[in-house]
Amino acid sequence: MLQMITIELNGTKQPLPIGSAVSDLLSIIGSDGKSVAVVVNEQIIRPDKRSARLLQEGDHVELLIFAGGG
Amino acid sequence: MTIPMDFLQLGSYTFSSRLILGTGKFSNATVMLEAVRASGAQLVTVALRRFNREQAEDDLFGPLSAIEGITLMPNTSGASTAAEAIRAAHIARELSGSPFIKVEIHPNPQHLMPDPIETYEAARILAKEGFLVMPYITADPVLAKRLEEVGCASVMPLGSAIGSGQGVATAAMIDIIIRESGIPVIVDAGLRSPSEAAHAMEMGCGAVLVNSAVAVAGNPPEMAEAFAEAVAAGRKAFRAGLMQKSGSAIATSPLTAFLGANG
Repeated sequence: MLQMITIELNGTKQPLPIGSAVSDLLSIIGSDGKSVAVVVNEQIIRPDKRSARLLQEGDHVELLIFAGGG
Repeated sequence: MTIPMDFLQLGSYTFSSRLILGTGKFSNATVMLEAVRASGAQLVTVALRRFNREQAEDDLFGPLSAIEGITLMPNTSGASTAAEAIRAAHIARELSGSPFIKVEIHPNPQHLMPDPIETYEAARILAKEGFLVMPYITADPVLAKRLEEVGCASVMPLGSAIGSGQGVATAAMIDIIIRESGIPVIVDAGLRSPSEAAHAMEMGCGAVLVNSAVAVAGNPPEMAEAFAEAVAAGRKAFRAGLMQKSGSAIATSPLTAFLGANG
């Protein structure tokens, strides 16, 4: 059985298999291929760093997109 | 007579359109994209939002980027302090690849008036970091000058409250800002009708930013086109030079009597 961790994703709890990278998280929640900004514990994670950046228990992750605004 | 080309200069960027369009409050993305195309706008504002897997179609980056000649200007809406606005600007630049940032810091949702102190502080730091800072401000000539001095690309005084449709209620103050400013002055917020946009341009504004008036119109693409024409007409009138106002009548026809007169 997979060992799991829990992170906070956009303010709500999100379980993830231990050893997951940011890129794994993006494919799990279906935002891969979209233009999302990823912020882990206040640090911006650029696209070329997302498969190397592993997530830890309790990490705060924000995923942001552009929506309509004036 | 050849009229020299007339471009809006913001930092090292030049735009032939002087209408900046916001993308909020449209009924759906298809209508918004049609309005953007109809407006001819080359600078378009967007806002940062959390990704929601149930509403994945909200992502506007792809569809807007697909329109040729569009530069994105993300805003910092949602920020109520300079620190929050700076953080939003960094994230927005990461996503957009654009150096433009509309600094918008309004702590009170009741009236959405911009906080001058936090706005000044955020603008000062972001300009130093190389952003093309476009601060949304109250129509305050002193604040506008201070923002120019710290390196903002423009100042964007409000015509009236966001989404209010009260037009350029601050015209007298905007007139002073324009007279004193070495950077483009862009009326942002409050415009309801194309004639108000034309008026702002006739006063000498560098551009206008419109959102609600187009987004909630009965036919948004048609209204976008109407605003584009009004902005172009107002700019042309400003460049042509408006006549002076006079306190009394000045005849346009000869007053020499000739009908039944004895001479």
